[in-house]
Amino acid sequence: MKVIICGAGQVGWQIARHLSGENNDVTVVDNNPELVRRATDTLDVQGIAGFASYPDVLDKAGARDADMIIAATHSDEVNMVTCQVAHSVFAIQRKIARLRSQSYQEAIYSDLYRRDHLPIDVVISPEKEVAEAALQRLAAPAAFDTESFFEGNAQLLGITIEDDCPVINTPLRQLTDLFSTLQAIVVGIRREGALFVPAANDQLFVGDDCYIFTETKDMTRTLEIFGKTQSKQERIVIVGGGNVGLGVARALEARTERVRVKMVEKNRDCAENAADMLDRTIVLNGDGLDSGLLEEAGIESADAVLVVTDDDKTNLLASVRSKEMGCPMAICLINDPTLVPLMGPLDIDAYINPRATTVSSILRHIRHGRVRGVYSIGDAEAEVIEAMVLGTSPIAGKKIKDIAFPEGTIIGGVSQGGKVVKPTGETRINEGDAIAIFAMTPDVPEVERLLQVSIDFF
Amino acid sequence: MKDRAARIPLIVMLMGLGSLAMLLPAIQAAILDDHRTMRAFFYGMILFGMLTGLVGLATAGAVPKNVARSQLLTLLAAFSILPLMFAVPFAEAIENTTYLNAWFEMISSFTTTGATLYDTAGRLSPSLHLWRATVGWMGGFLVWVMAVAIFAPMNLGGFEVRAVGGVGRGSAGFTQVGQGADPSERLARFTLKLFPIYAGLTVILWVGLVITGEVSYVALCHAMSILSTSGISPIDGVYYAGAGWLGEVLMFAFFIFALSRLTFSKALIGESERTGLRRDPEFRLAFFLIAGTTGLLVLRHFLGAVELGEESLIEALQAIWGTVFTVTSFLTTTGFESRYWEGATDWSGLQTPGLFLIGLALIGGGVATTAGGVKLLRVYALFRHGEREMERLLHPSSIGGGGKDARRIRRQGAYISWIFFMLFAISIAVVMVLLSLSGVQFETAMVLSVASLSTTGPLATVAAETPIAYSGLPDLAKFVLAAAMVLGRLETLAIIALFNPEIWRT
Repeated sequence: MKVIICGAGQVGWQIARHLSGENNDVTVVDNNPELVRRATDTLDVQGIAGFASYPDVLDKAGARDADMIIAATHSDEVNMVTCQVAHSVFAIQRKIARLRSQSYQEAIYSDLYRRDHLPIDVVISPEKEVAEAALQRLAAPAAFDTESFFEGNAQLLGITIEDDCPVINTPLRQLTDLFSTLQAIVVGIRREGALFVPAANDQLFVGDDCYIFTETKDMTRTLEIFGKTQSKQERIVIVGGGNVGLGVARALEARTERVRVKMVEKNRDCAENAADMLDRTIVLNGDGLDSGLLEEAGIESADAVLVVTDDDKTNLLASVRSKEMGCPMAICLINDPTLVPLMGPLDIDAYINPRATTVSSILRHIRHGRVRGVYSIGDAEAEVIEAMVLGTSPIAGKKIKDIAFPEGTIIGGVSQGGKVVKPTGETRINEGDAIAIFAMTPDVPEVERLLQVSIDFF
Repeated sequence: MKDRAARIPLIVMLMGLGSLAMLLPAIQAAILDDHRTMRAFFYGMILFGMLTGLVGLATAGAVPKNVARSQLLTLLAAFSILPLMFAVPFAEAIENTTYLNAWFEMISSFTTTGATLYDTAGRLSPSLHLWRATVGWMGGFLVWVMAVAIFAPMNLGGFEVRAVGGVGRGSAGFTQVGQGADPSERLARFTLKLFPIYAGLTVILWVGLVITGEVSYVALCHAMSILSTSGISPIDGVYYAGAGWLGEVLMFAFFIFALSRLTFSKALIGESERTGLRRDPEFRLAFFLIAGTTGLLVLRHFLGAVELGEESLIEALQAIWGTVFTVTSFLTTTGFESRYWEGATDWSGLQTPGLFLIGLALIGGGVATTAGGVKLLRVYALFRHGEREMERLLHPSSIGGGGKDARRIRRQGAYISWIFFMLFAISIAVVMVLLSLSGVQFETAMVLSVASLSTTGPLATVAAETPIAYSGLPDLAKFVLAAAMVLGRLETLAIIALFNPEIWRT
C-alpha cells in the first residue's frame, strides 16, 4: 500500500516507522528538511520537503497513485486542507487527519467530515489517546501496561510477576481449574526479553512480564490473584503541562471523587495556558527535575507521579527523582521503545508509549475486515486485534478448537451480544461476535486473512 | 449643518445645554406663581444663551491641535467653570446669600456630591431644589458620557485596570485601520445612545415614585438624585418621603445602575469573554459587600442584645431593610438614608458608628457609572491580587489561572489600582491638611475630605458622631472642598494624564 504521511514530527515519524516496518511504500512530507532527513535516514521511507497542503508538493510525493494520506502536521487547519486537496485533486481514497483542537473534535460537528463537506475519513488525536492511556495506567497502578477492549468491558493488563505472587510455578491449565469463575486468560509472557504465547502447560516464573486479558469487573480479583493490590489514588503530581498532561488533569478534575492534582510545567506560556484551562489543579512553573519544585508539588505525600514531558530522558530522570523522594509510583512517557528495558533497573512502575497508542488508532483503519481496535504490544512484537466476525469469514460458526489459528495467536476474549465470554476450545464463534486476538507480529497477516471475507463468498 | 455642529467646541455645547436647562426651574416657578425665581432663571437662560452664542461664534471652526488634551481640559473646565454659570440665577433667586455659597452649592451638585449649605428646611424654594437636582442630574450624565467616550479610549477612569496599553494614552495604533473614530464623533454617538436610557430611567423612577405616593416634584428630584447618585433631596432625604417603604424599594432597585455599567450598556468589545451581569466582577463584589456589611451589622445587634422579645421581629426586619438600603446607597455614593436606618442603628440599644459608611463610600460604585470613590473594579483588582499573593505563599512557583484577562487584572490591573489607591489616599491626606489649616477640626476634616473626594455629600451628616453642617465651614474650607469634589469626580489619574508630556507634544 502506498501511504503519504504529512508531518515528520513525533507523531508522523512514529506512524512512518510502523507502516514502513510493515512493507508499505511510505513517503514523508514536511516543510522542515531537517525532520524529513531524520525520517529518511532512520527509516525505509522516501522524503519530500515542502508544505503538505500544496498540491504540487503532494504531486511530487506521488499522491496520484497513493492509497492513503495521513495528515499529521501540528496544525489542524493544514491537516484539513491537506485532506481536502488529497480528495479533490488526487482522489486519494483514505484520508486520516490529526486534529487537536477540542472544537474540531466535538461530536456536533462530526457532520463536517462527510465526503461532500470536508472529506476526512478518520480523525486521530494522539495527545487525547495518550492522555487516555495515562488515565488507564493510573486506574490500574499495579499493571505496567493496560488497554481496554470491547467498549471497556474487558482489559488487557500487563503485570510483572513478583516473589509474592501466589500462582508462580503453577501450570496455566491448573489456574483455569483453580479459578473457574475468573474471566481471565494469560495471553502472552515475556521471559528474558522474549515474548511468546503460552501453552496450557507453561508456568509463570518470578520476573516474567505477563499480559492478561480479563473482564473489567474481574480486574481487581485478577490483580489480587497475581499478587497485586489496588490502592486508591488521591494525590497525583503531573510533570509536563502539554496537551497530554492537560488532558489527564482535566479528566481527573472531571471525576466525581476528589483527586488533588498538581502540575509542573517548565514553559511559562504553556503553564499559563494549563492554569487557564484547569480549575482546581495547582499549576507550578519550573523544571520538573528540580527537587525543590517537586517538594513544593508535595511529591513525598503524592500517591503517583505522571511524567509526560516531550523529552524521554527528562521523563526518566524525573520519575527516578520522584521515586527517590518518596513517591510510591511513577508513570513515565517513553517515545523511544529501546528505553523500555530501563524501566526495571530504574524502578519505574509503568510507562506509556505514545507510539503504541497512536499507531493503534491508525492501524485500526488500515487493517482489513471489521477490525475495531488494534493495540501494539512492546516494540511492535505483537498485536491485540479486536474484530467483528463477519458471516463470510472462515471462522464464523466454528468452534475455537476447529479454527486453524497459527502458532503465535490466542483468543483473549469473545464478546457475544455485549457479554464477555471466556474462550475455551468448545466456544463457538458466531457471526456478529467480537473477538480479541493476541497475535505475534509474524502471524498478523494470517489472522487478518481469517477475519476477512472468504473466497467462496464471491 | 450637522458637520458644523460637530465642530463647535464641547465646552460651548455644554454651556448651551446648561443654559437651556434653566428653563426647567423657570417653568416650575411660573407654575407655582413664584415669579421672582422664574425671572431669575429665565433671564439667566437668556443671558447665558446669548453668551454661549457669542462664544460659539468666536470659537466656531477652531480646530484643537490635540483632541484628547482639549477634551480632558474641557472636562476640567466643565466641572470648574460651568458651576459659575449655574450659580448666577441660583444666587439671584435666593437673594440673601453670597455668590461664593451659591457657587459651592452648584459645584457640589454638578459633581454629584450633593453637599448642601442650605440645610435648614424652607430656606430654598421648590424651584431652587429642582435646579440643584437638575444640575446634579446633568453632571451625572456628563460622567456617563465622558467615561465611555473620553476615558475608555484613553484608558482612564477605571478602564486602565483592564487596559492592554498604557494609562492615559490609549491603545497602540493599528496601522491597517486607516482612521480611528474621531473623538468628537464618539462623543456625539455615545451621547445620543446613552441619553434616552438615562432620561428614560429617570422618568420611570419618577413615575414610580409618584405612584407610590410622592409629591411630584420631590419625586422628580429624588429620581434625578438616584440616577446621578448625587443624593440631593428637597426634603432632607427619604426620611420624610411620602412614598414610604415602597418608594425605598423602588429607589433601591435603581441603585443597581451605579454598581456596574453593564446594567445599562454593553461591555466594550474584547473586554472580557464572560459577559452577563451575574458574572460581572463589579456586580458580584458589590453584592458581597452589601450582603457582608448588612450581615455583620445585623449579627452584631443579635449578639449584643440578648434579650430579644417577640414584638421586635418586625423591628428586626425593618432594621435589616434599613441597613441594606443605607449600605447600598452609600456604596453607590448617593448618600440617602433609609427611614429605618435610625431604627437599624439602635433598635437593640447598640449605637452603630457611621465610620463604616465612610469605608463604603471610599470603595464607591462601578466604573463608568455616576458613582464616585475608588471604584469597585479597582478594589476587585486589589482583592484578586491579594488572593493570588496568598496562594503564592503556599506555592511560590504556582501559576494563577482564569485566563489572560484575569491575569492582566491581577498583575498590571492591581498595579495601576494601587497607584490610584495611593493617589486617592494622598489626596485625602492633603485635603485633610488643608481643611485643618483653614481651622476645621480633625475628625470633621476627615469626614469632609472623604465625603468630597468620594462625591458623597450626605456622609457629613451621617458618618460623624455629631452631624457636620457645611454651612458652618469657613470660606477657605469651601474652596478646598470644591476643589476636592472636582478632583474626586474627574479622578486623579485623569488630571495627572493632563501633565503627561505626550499629551502636550504635537
